[in-house]
Amino acid sequence: MMRLLHALILTWFLLPGTAVLLRAGDVEFFEKKVRPVLAEKCYKCHSTESEKLKGSLLLDHREHMLTGGETGAAIVPGDAEKSLLIESIRYGNEDLQMPPKEKLSAEIVADFAKWIDEGAAWPDEPVPQREGSGGEEAFDLKKRFEEHWSWRDFSNSEPPAVKNPDWTKSPVDQFVLAKLEEKGLRPAEEADRSIWFRRVHFDLVGLPPTREQWGEFLSDQSPQAKENAVDRLLDSPHFGEKWARHWMDLVRYAETYGHEFDYPIAGATEYRDYLIRAFNNDVPYDQFVKEHIAGDLLPEPRRNPEKGFNESILGTGFWYFHEATHAPTDVLANEADIMDNQIDVFGKSFLGLTVSCARCHDHKFDAISTKDYYAMTAYLHASARQEVVIDENRVREKTAADLIAKKRDADALFKLPVQKAQVSAPLREDETIFEDFEGGTLPEGWSTTGEAFSAGSGGGVRFQSKAPVAQPGVVDSGLLGKKQVGILRSPTFTIETDFIHILTKSEKSHIRLIIDNYQMARFSALLFKGTLHNNLDTKGGFVWKSLSGNLNKYRGHKAYLEFIDPENGEILVDEIRFSTHPKPPAVPEARAKPVNQNLPAPVPALIKEGEGIANRLPAPRYAVAMAEGSPEAANVYVRGSHRSLGDEVPARFLEALGGATGDRLALADHVAAADNPLTARVLVNRIWHHLFGQGIVPTVDDFGPMGRLPSHPELLDYLAEDFVTNKDWSMKRLIRELVLSSTYGQSSKPHPDLSSGMLAEIDPANELLHRMRVKRLTGEAVRDSILAVSGRLDPQLFGASVPTHRTEFMTGRGGKKSGPLDGGGRRSIYGAVYRNFLSPFMLTFDVPSPFGPKGKRSVSNVPAQALVLMNDPFVLEQSKLWGRRIVEEYSTDAERIDAMFLEALGRKPDLNERNRIESYLSAESSGNQEETWSSLAHVVLNMKEFIFIP
Amino acid sequence: MHCRRFQKSPLSRRDLLAKGAMGFGGVALQALLSDQSRATVTNPLAPKTPHFAPKARNVIFLYMDGGPSHVDTFDYKPMLKKYNGRDPGEVIGKLAPTQFDNVGKVLQAQWDFKQRGESGAWVSELFPHLAKKEVIDEIAFVKSMTSKFSEHTFANYFLHTGSPFQGRPSMGAWFGYGLGSENENLPGFVVLNGGLIPPGGLDCFGSGFLPAAYQGSVFLPKDQPIANIKPGEKDAESQRRKLDLLSDLDRSALTKGYPDPQVEAAIQNYETAYRMQTSVPDLMDLRGESDVVKKLYGLDSDFQNTKTFGLQCLLARRLVERGVRFIELTCPGGNGDRWDQHGKLVDGHGKNCKTVDQPIAGLITDLRRLGLLDSTLIVWAGEFGRTPFAQGNDGRDHNPFGFTVWMAGGGVKGGASVGATDDFGYKAVQDRYEIHDLHATMLHLLGVEHTQSTFRFSGRDMRLTDVHGHVMKEILV
Repeated sequence: MMRLLHALILTWFLLPGTAVLLRAGDVEFFEKKVRPVLAEKCYKCHSTESEKLKGSLLLDHREHMLTGGETGAAIVPGDAEKSLLIESIRYGNEDLQMPPKEKLSAEIVADFAKWIDEGAAWPDEPVPQREGSGGEEAFDLKKRFEEHWSWRDFSNSEPPAVKNPDWTKSPVDQFVLAKLEEKGLRPAEEADRSIWFRRVHFDLVGLPPTREQWGEFLSDQSPQAKENAVDRLLDSPHFGEKWARHWMDLVRYAETYGHEFDYPIAGATEYRDYLIRAFNNDVPYDQFVKEHIAGDLLPEPRRNPEKGFNESILGTGFWYFHEATHAPTDVLANEADIMDNQIDVFGKSFLGLTVSCARCHDHKFDAISTKDYYAMTAYLHASARQEVVIDENRVREKTAADLIAKKRDADALFKLPVQKAQVSAPLREDETIFEDFEGGTLPEGWSTTGEAFSAGSGGGVRFQSKAPVAQPGVVDSGLLGKKQVGILRSPTFTIETDFIHILTKSEKSHIRLIIDNYQMARFSALLFKGTLHNNLDTKGGFVWKSLSGNLNKYRGHKAYLEFIDPENGEILVDEIRFSTHPKPPAVPEARAKPVNQNLPAPVPALIKEGEGIANRLPAPRYAVAMAEGSPEAANVYVRGSHRSLGDEVPARFLEALGGATGDRLALADHVAAADNPLTARVLVNRIWHHLFGQGIVPTVDDFGPMGRLPSHPELLDYLAEDFVTNKDWSMKRLIRELVLSSTYGQSSKPHPDLSSGMLAEIDPANELLHRMRVKRLTGEAVRDSILAVSGRLDPQLFGASVPTHRTEFMTGRGGKKSGPLDGGGRRSIYGAVYRNFLSPFMLTFDVPSPFGPKGKRSVSNVPAQALVLMNDPFVLEQSKLWGRRIVEEYSTDAERIDAMFLEALGRKPDLNERNRIESYLSAESSGNQEETWSSLAHVVLNMKEFIFIP
Repeated sequence: MHCRRFQKSPLSRRDLLAKGAMGFGGVALQALLSDQSRATVTNPLAPKTPHFAPKARNVIFLYMDGGPSHVDTFDYKPMLKKYNGRDPGEVIGKLAPTQFDNVGKVLQAQWDFKQRGESGAWVSELFPHLAKKEVIDEIAFVKSMTSKFSEHTFANYFLHTGSPFQGRPSMGAWFGYGLGSENENLPGFVVLNGGLIPPGGLDCFGSGFLPAAYQGSVFLPKDQPIANIKPGEKDAESQRRKLDLLSDLDRSALTKGYPDPQVEAAIQNYETAYRMQTSVPDLMDLRGESDVVKKLYGLDSDFQNTKTFGLQCLLARRLVERGVRFIELTCPGGNGDRWDQHGKLVDGHGKNCKTVDQPIAGLITDLRRLGLLDSTLIVWAGEFGRTPFAQGNDGRDHNPFGFTVWMAGGGVKGGASVGATDDFGYKAVQDRYEIHDLHATMLHLLGVEHTQSTFRFSGRDMRLTDVHGHVMKEILV
């Protein structure tokens, strides 16, 4: 034995695949100290024999270790420090701690390090191979692309011939009827006119018809009666309120951030109002998509028709309705989670793709790679959240242009002594100037929002009589008066020093360092102390303000600076230094005192005039939006961990959809392109889903292989192509065609000629639409209908939301003021959406909790819904109002009963019903008419017909 | 004409459903049942067959909101005493970032520890009732639990749903989805709210992408425990007259042209709702409980929060008796804070322990007395533990790297203890477990294989345990 060992020690091995020669002693060390540990602790998951291979990593041969798994090579022979295996067994990387159950002892870890440092010796033995391909099929994007239907172009399908063309009113009907005929079925009979009328009311505006609308429709005997009704509904301002809400489900619309304190999302309601206007104005869907993705970058933004402000930029607000926490201990992980949510919303809403499934690995089923996912994150890394001012009548823009012209004239009338701003003291060691604004124009990479910074940094007159002159070399939000607002944004940089000193003068303005796009420091500075100055007031003079405090935690992180003049103030920035010195330098003399100069006439008068103009600006109105930041590539986070950086990827679109690079505007163009096979299909399918109760593709948010196949693929393609080429992406035109079709006009009862046995056999799930589907009203429509019939409905559009009415069961941190029980009579879309205090009424009726895109709500059917309609004080209160109104407006029992049925159910009671009600009324009547009729009102509101629409 | 349909009915909900459904023809029913509304027609809470024979039927989850300090309660670390007051960076080594970033000195346990029961479990003097032999030996400790998050909300969602984000189904919803409920007149998942709704809000108890029927119903320990359970009519008679009229009108409409199973199911819901109006007050009516039992739970305590939590524990037992599948208890407020003692540890933990100690001991004792302990799984856990070093000088910060949770009851090996943190109680070093393992084990004890209980959402088969989770066999009988 000893002899053999000696022999081994004297022998050198040439290991396969490497040119490294190893000594036999190393192999012995391996066999004694390393292999047994590998076998005991690792091979359950990392060997060719493993039942389930984890992380695609094999550790049962040196070759396998060099090939590595998902996170790359496991070992770098000769360099333990660079070996992932060592990193993981040291538990150095939180996302990669092996073995997972228990850390190896320090001695064993040292043995492994020694083994690797000395070359990672392995005896010459065959490389074991795992049977099959390791359990999972390799990711093949091209193959998946070729095999799945939704990536194909539209099929140019022509409406098929049918046996009974009399039934068809639209090509849509031809597609539906052809399938029914093929299966030996026939459509249901036409729905009763009043059933159709009530149905189309709820589908288009989310409200029941009023008495007047009933009268108008029922008396319209013309052949165009239905067209007239539909056109009236499409023109109704309430159309946008109904359809905006569908979109809000997709973008997880909320007005607070949730988490511990449920902080507010400022300006959220402006996005809601933007949607309502966009649907009412029938903004073409391709435009609508572009506005969402890159409305801030459109060269010619869409203007509000009445008030002229930029509508397009408001669409970008959707990116920012994610949840957010204060004080994340790992800000980069927090950023990654938020981006995941943003990409999830983006992918599903516009493309019907589960892109975010590719965050940790290539998509399990779809033609979407991890690189596709991280290429999307590059757009988000290169963007910045901002609050943007809504410039009604473009008064800010016009005032700025006017004052810039006036300033040019005034500047020409006197000569400012050239006063090169002196740097206070020579730069100290380990200190650099990030920016000194000496150029007169905005430096490269810097950007602004709003008008306050639009006059540059060239000095000259300021339209402020008290401080009328500016020196060059300072950016100054007060040049055009105090009331202009704006944001100045630096390029993104990497934090390398613990101190940033800023020479500034400020009044009611903010300085914020945005680290890894983290936005919550303004609410709670915890873990971000010293990274912002909110409402900074420098008492009229220049001072050095420092960013410090927790900044040392974020060395190596990406960040940008924001200087925000939000309302009636100003901020001036002279210089920004990155420094290792905790103390800023002295304030230079040129900045220590105001610039005094006797200005020649008529300059003072011009300044006064300009100041007067500036002071007439209204208070700003803000919305949340996106802004362009510094272009950035992104890294793949291997297995979703930001601690394991993989390849760098540029910002680009999904490879399966062309993979074009470019900025966010280019991305928007690709998503909204006429030849994108998904965008139009997904949208027409969503509209179909809302009108018919189920999409042609039932999984409306997933057009991938895990989604369901279209029931009528040719119809889907026809609709999509027609929508793009003939309807110019007009959603109203599409909706009009659909609701006037014979398919939509069917009764929800099957045709009497069809036996139930036959239906059970051929079309049990009504996939072929042999009848209309019964739809339950959404939570919003249930509540809005109650308000409508009670007479309490306030039809006002837009504006601040009505706080949620809080019950004693809604407690917890971040509570908001409770709102009125009846929500002020406003439609439900104007009810506040506080993430942690969602309306129980809405939740009971399946209004989604806003966490991610939800194109298809669940339709639950639970006793809690009965309890709400039976006992909720809101319902009881509205029943009272309704009962009282009915008593006031009608005098006989018969009239009153008829009115109630018409208003709530759109029909008259039959004789049995009338008798039954009359016997109830006589048993109930206590002398108090209002009470009696309120009781009946309550019963009618609880009738299933009230919320289930046939 | 009054058919008294809303009087207490001996028929079960399913009987009624079947009976009502015959109204429009058996074959048609079959056709309609396979319509899109199928899920809404079959009672989502009907009991379902587990994957294998369960050890327990019900779960009581004692949620210790805020994160109790394991080193002051069950995880005895003499080294903390030895190094008390020293710099943790020197003594313990490299420290991970903490939520409040205000790391003080190594802080010893503020209470003395003793070994208790036959199992010799270490318990601090904070839990005198739990430490009693007949109670402590029912408990199995997991001293190496870990979480992934240092922030309350992330960690709360994670503990409750297996995901750090809002909008995922809570454990209780998953249990309802997997097993249904044994009681048709009460929800399958009840949260007995002591006063503190955890950070993250009611979505900790939500049904997420599962149908709404599975969401937690929050009960307050008071006369009207849930919203809308009390009729607004002046007397029971007038409500019944209304509901009788409603029933007749609904059925008249059904015969006229609403052959839709979801409408039929909605009609049935009114019958269930009506019965809930009685069964919920019945649950809350403690007149049948003896003084001895009330005392056992601490209802006579001089400390109001003990009384509150005692009432919650007693109601939990009553819910178990009524077949409610999953019961979660949240903590009463007013103890300075939830178990989140960033400062004033002695005062806050003192009060929080006093709040729960006697009621929990009473609950275990009472369940055993009634023969229910073997079929009830009790889980005690916070969303994380606390640091072995001080925050400031008299508090402790969040610590997700290693902490203690415990289980008792059906299928649990009483007296067991698995896993360990390092010498200071900072990080789990032996048999590390994660929240997914806790979930997998809980499901396992109720007869559900966690990898098999899935729900298709967003193109994936979702699980409570995501793609993780191993059953903690070491603490099972």
